[in-house]
Amino acid sequence: MKIGIVGKGGAGKTTTAGIVARTLGRKGYSVLALDCDTNPNLGIALGLGLQETERLAAIRQSLDEEAAEHAPSVSEMLQRFGAQAPDAVRLAVVTKIDTPNPG
Amino acid sequence: MRLAFIGKGGSGKSTVAGTVARMLARQHGPVLALDVDPLPGLAFSLGLGHIPEGGLPEELAERREGKGWVLKEEVSAESLVDRYAVQGPDGVWFLQLGKMPGHVRPGSSTAFRHVVESFHRPGWSVVGDLSAGTRQAFAGWASFATRLVIVSELSSSGLLTARRLRRLAETFPEAAVGLVINKANGDGLAAAKAAELGMPLWAVLPYDGEMAAAEQTGQAPIDVAPNSPVVKAIERFLQRITEDPK
Repeated sequence: MKIGIVGKGGAGKTTTAGIVARTLGRKGYSVLALDCDTNPNLGIALGLGLQETERLAAIRQSLDEEAAEHAPSVSEMLQRFGAQAPDAVRLAVVTKIDTPNPG
Repeated sequence: MRLAFIGKGGSGKSTVAGTVARMLARQHGPVLALDVDPLPGLAFSLGLGHIPEGGLPEELAERREGKGWVLKEEVSAESLVDRYAVQGPDGVWFLQLGKMPGHVRPGSSTAFRHVVESFHRPGWSVVGDLSAGTRQAFAGWASFATRLVIVSELSSSGLLTARRLRRLAETFPEAAVGLVINKANGDGLAAAKAAELGMPLWAVLPYDGEMAAAEQTGQAPIDVAPNSPVVKAIERFLQRITEDPK
């Protein structure tokens, strides 16, 4: 099952996605949660807390800044760049994050 | 006065920006109100009642080798505003820049950043409602502003977004950056959070059912709820930043 959650800002996408992921995890599914927002907050909704959410965003950003190397496979990517959330949910930040680029 | 409103989606950027634009127009002369959000909302809080057709037509843009997206003809920002902006109440002129009608060439709207940046007309203010999140605001769209207004609720994700925006705002050292806390439940927590973020707290807007009702009907808060606590608080906010010469 692959679910995409979309909508206007502030509609509750992230909150809904977090609850859906955790609920599926509790029902025994292995869940991969992908944060595709340029302003990634899904970690907070999954219960990972502020620090871990920021750490994941920083890891994703380090790829763009070429401070880290891309993983050669999807599973290795999730291993290296993901985080374990409660209820067997694995979270990874996918989308390229803002880089200060005025002009 | 040149103000850019930024913040997480749903924080209330459009509501505050639209109300500020109307007040500025009443008190200080014409206002160019820019909606740079691809999911537009500013037209409602300005009191236009609908999202007007218009904005700058995509055909004005072309891609040039080594220059990226630019305007095809060298036309002044002022003449484009005269031609394409839609007149709203109180001397507000509205320009939709983020809307993507049908198929537009990806990236083409960046040609219009220069319009936003270079528009200067004596006596006019500019109010920009920028796209939600953190990315677009700093892809050049905020550089017109002398003040960056970060709007946030007191939620963790809203404040995390505010912190990211504050960090990015450091790339605009010439602009003053401040925080407006929206839908607050008392002033104490807002002050504590602003201090934690190391930002001046420019306003605390209370949670207000009248605002929610205005949002549901697509009307401007300043028209349907002029005496509501939020509109009054926005009035004080505007007074505060106009008295401070920065």
